[in-house]
Amino acid sequence: MILNILIGIGIAFFGFVLQTSIAGINRKIVGRLQKRHGPRWYQEFIDIFKLLSKRSITHGWIFDFGVIMALGGIIATAMFMPLTNNFLAFENFDNFFIFVYLIAVGMLGMAMSASGSGNPWASIGVMRALTTMLAYEVPFLIVVLTIINLTGNSSLTEIMLYQQASGNNWFLIALPIGGLVGFIALMGMLGKKPFETYVAPAEIASGPMVEYGGKQLGMLFIMNEISAFIEVSLFVHLFLGGATNIFEFLIKYFVVYTLANLISSVNGRFKIDQVVKFFYKWPLIMAVTQAVIAIYFGWVI
Amino acid sequence: MLSTKYTEKTKLTKDEIDRKWWEVGDYFRRNSLWLLMYCTGCCAVELPPSMTSAYDMERLGMGPMATPRQADILLVSGYLSLKTLRRLIYTYEQMSEPKYVIGLGSCPINGGIYHDSHAVINQLDQYIPVDVYVAGCMPNPESILNGFVDLMESIKNKTANSWKKYRDNNEWYKQNQKDALGEVIIHDEFHE
Amino acid sequence: MASVELLILFLVGAGVIAYILTRFNTFLGSIFTIFAVMFVFVSLAGYGFGMNMDTTVNILPGISFTETYLGFYFAIIIVFVYLMVSFFHPYYLSEYKYKNSYNLLFLLSLAGILGAFYTDNFLNLFFFFELIIWTTMFLIPQGKSKEAAVSYFGFSIAGSVAMLIGIFITYNVSGTFSIYQGLAALSGTNAIFVFVLFIIAAFAKLGSFPLHIWLPIAHGNAPHPFSPVLSGALVKLGAFIGVLALIRIAPATGLFTAMDLPIGQYVVAILGSMSIVFGTLMAIKEDDAKKLLAYSSMSHGGYILVAFSILNGIAFAGGFYHILAHALASAGAFMAIAAVARATGTTKMKELGGMIHKMPITYLAYLIAIISMAGIPPMGGFISKWLIFQAVIDKGMIFVGIAVFFGSVGSFLYVFRPLAALFLGQELTEYKKVKEAPLLMLIPTFILMGLNVYTGVFPGGILKFINNIIVELGYTGIEVSTYEINGTNGILNPALIGLIFAVGSGIAFLIFIVLKKSRKVELMDTYTAANFVHDEHLLHYAVDFYAPLERLYEKQSNWMTKFYTALAEKVRELGKLGKYLFMSKNISTTVFWIVAIIIFLLWGEVL
Repeated sequence: MILNILIGIGIAFFGFVLQTSIAGINRKIVGRLQKRHGPRWYQEFIDIFKLLSKRSITHGWIFDFGVIMALGGIIATAMFMPLTNNFLAFENFDNFFIFVYLIAVGMLGMAMSASGSGNPWASIGVMRALTTMLAYEVPFLIVVLTIINLTGNSSLTEIMLYQQASGNNWFLIALPIGGLVGFIALMGMLGKKPFETYVAPAEIASGPMVEYGGKQLGMLFIMNEISAFIEVSLFVHLFLGGATNIFEFLIKYFVVYTLANLISSVNGRFKIDQVVKFFYKWPLIMAVTQAVIAIYFGWVI
Repeated sequence: MLSTKYTEKTKLTKDEIDRKWWEVGDYFRRNSLWLLMYCTGCCAVELPPSMTSAYDMERLGMGPMATPRQADILLVSGYLSLKTLRRLIYTYEQMSEPKYVIGLGSCPINGGIYHDSHAVINQLDQYIPVDVYVAGCMPNPESILNGFVDLMESIKNKTANSWKKYRDNNEWYKQNQKDALGEVIIHDEFHE
Repeated sequence: MASVELLILFLVGAGVIAYILTRFNTFLGSIFTIFAVMFVFVSLAGYGFGMNMDTTVNILPGISFTETYLGFYFAIIIVFVYLMVSFFHPYYLSEYKYKNSYNLLFLLSLAGILGAFYTDNFLNLFFFFELIIWTTMFLIPQGKSKEAAVSYFGFSIAGSVAMLIGIFITYNVSGTFSIYQGLAALSGTNAIFVFVLFIIAAFAKLGSFPLHIWLPIAHGNAPHPFSPVLSGALVKLGAFIGVLALIRIAPATGLFTAMDLPIGQYVVAILGSMSIVFGTLMAIKEDDAKKLLAYSSMSHGGYILVAFSILNGIAFAGGFYHILAHALASAGAFMAIAAVARATGTTKMKELGGMIHKMPITYLAYLIAIISMAGIPPMGGFISKWLIFQAVIDKGMIFVGIAVFFGSVGSFLYVFRPLAALFLGQELTEYKKVKEAPLLMLIPTFILMGLNVYTGVFPGGILKFINNIIVELGYTGIEVSTYEINGTNGILNPALIGLIFAVGSGIAFLIFIVLKKSRKVELMDTYTAANFVHDEHLLHYAVDFYAPLERLYEKQSNWMTKFYTALAEKVRELGKLGKYLFMSKNISTTVFWIVAIIIFLLWGEVL
């Protein structure tokens, strides 16, 4: 048990390092896209450690408690994440719903802490984040409903094995419409443009993060990196057939995240009600269509 | 060959350990300086070119930030009227330590072309301490970036201590601020 | 005391004593009520779990009892909620107009509940239901408005009448008033009739769409200590009738082959889904904290209906567990709001703010309750939602799926609103002198907090008990070991999740504690784009919290209310017509009608 927990912590740490490096590389890629030199690839690490070294302010116990709950919840979620077929901390317990709902503890902690700062912009940011969540989560979960219904198992490892068993038939190919919906929802989850409404630095002064500086902000950055790791890994495991070894995982992970980031860097930002309208129009219709086709008619490529 | 003589390990004192950690922290701090742009005057127009493709501030690890809580550098770009000075001080006090101030253009140094105006202060460092001045009216992007590099150097040499100065000589600064601004009773958010 | 009959008589007697005591001293009477309820709870918990209650009837005429796992499960949950709430009585009763009768009616309604869940006779069931409705009807108007009681009573009576007709049809077919024999004897068209009538009764009691209008009115205006009972306990009566209809009757209608589900059940599931969606949307829009929680009860009622209409063990386990989890969570949340309302005198979120600085324990109670309500681990709501999701996914019910997922994510939104607007945010000046709730009120708060966590971390024992109910209903239970739950498509280990969450928080706490200590600043010292703001109200974001989202369905949000208003108008007109015809001032007309009706009835009898 202790060994498993240590492996879990290792996975969470690995996720942090991986996502932070890839985010740094992506900053460089976006820099090149804009004909700039771009920062060093390890710039994200420097940013986080700088924040941790500063002397910050606090607005009372809930401000700190929320941050601890946020980071704790996200680390706990990451500890369940499988990296490959057989590399995971807790075998059989990598249930899909754990990731969707345990990640919510972290989000709740962050929201609580942000509202606890007493800044109206923070509350507006939280409101927008929750509204965005309401938008992207439903189409995404309908697609996952289809996948779990087809595989008959909600364990991520089993879903991976199912895809690998039938001749590398990834769900991105087997359920093309659903895969597209999944990717759009992933953009929403990662808070990439055009769904970046809840950060919006020029509009609501970076939303929930408005009052943070120093170690609290650093911890929220770590939380943000790990949650991005969880979300992208979920997409890789659900739609791209998971990974049999770690290199395959790294390649798939890199491709998915970079693609999302590239799309983000050429987009503007939606208004918050446009986000909701968008998700409840096309992605939801597509998800339902895909589910009806796959479950009731059984037409799976 | 190893000496058989037992030498006692020199234990580091707490101050020394703190200093070592501080040096490590300085590396991170000077390579990731986040700006809070206080765009009061015309010098602000030089900032977009220094951020975007032409000069690319991000390669130094710098970038604009939304709020004073997150930022490391308070970038005062241009002249400061008395009304904005009050807000500048409020903002400066909200920043988390260590914090640095850069004065852009000649106005924060000696008042520049507004030196004889009744509404504008002439010397910024009477009110809050300044680490780096970038002279010029306006300074071009090269000199702005040069100023940033200077700040990094001085963080490395531990000479960027303005925030300590503000803490140590707080009374003096407060007195100056009070002399210039006077005490104001605030009625509501629109009237002072 | 192991005899159900004696417990009911005890409650009636205790009610009378409580009435007399309350008349002299409110505090004393309320303390007596606590002990009376505690006595019932202890005897029920002591004997009931092993099915050792004595069900013989010696004194009460025409009443018979039997013991079922199903009835006991409901009874123990509801009695527990009653017990928790009774701790609040000493601090609230003195404000009410008819405070003497409050404890009496409270204990009488509890007697009704015990009877309703232990009886095996339809007429007794109806009698006890009416006892509950009539006693609680006099409790509700002690709060803010009398209209609330009218609304509650009207819908309850509609449900009761539907149930009564169903009972008569059953009697007609089977010739017995016994619940289990009677329902077993139904078949064909009769079964469908009774099914529909019972479902109407269940919807009316559960406050499900389309019979949900009374729920926010009654919950929002009921006395503060009574709202938790309404939402956590009384609404569950509807779930009980729903179980009778959906599982016991289960008429043989056509089958949806794609989902392997009878049409009747599927229609109920769809109605339940609509209840989830409407409840969620209305709760997001609501400004009164108690009404918001009432709408959330409506949405959770929808989950319970969805669970019971999917005919397999895992869904039933989810439904029964959800009844428990929601009772605990909603009681906890309502009681936290009640404590705030006692301290500040309002439940409107736009008037409140920053209560956390004065009432931290109440805040924690609310936080834990809403985490459970939103279905986030490691709390009880997650287990039940996980089980329901599994059942929905396995059946491939897409449209129900949209609703349950929407409700589950939407619940993050509406439960967060009181948290942000009422407890967090700026500390408003008018509430600077507020104090934390007194110790007696904190006792149930702590117990509920503990139970919310316990149900989320160690559900094994409870699920094993629920398996008994499922077996009793004629389905196979789910596989449960001490720590693990085996679903149809996955295994869950709630204790492990709890442990890992603790480990994660430990790591986060370590990171937090080794770093430099933060400087404490005032709440008002916050980023305002360097503007000097001196008034807390200007920095408190509480009004129209989800304005951009609300705007999207603003126009559609009150069409159900409009429908019922129009319906009420038509009924009133019909009443006027009747009054005009039968109640005219001219006596001879009235006499004529009476004679005519008597002749008509006698004529029908002769034929």
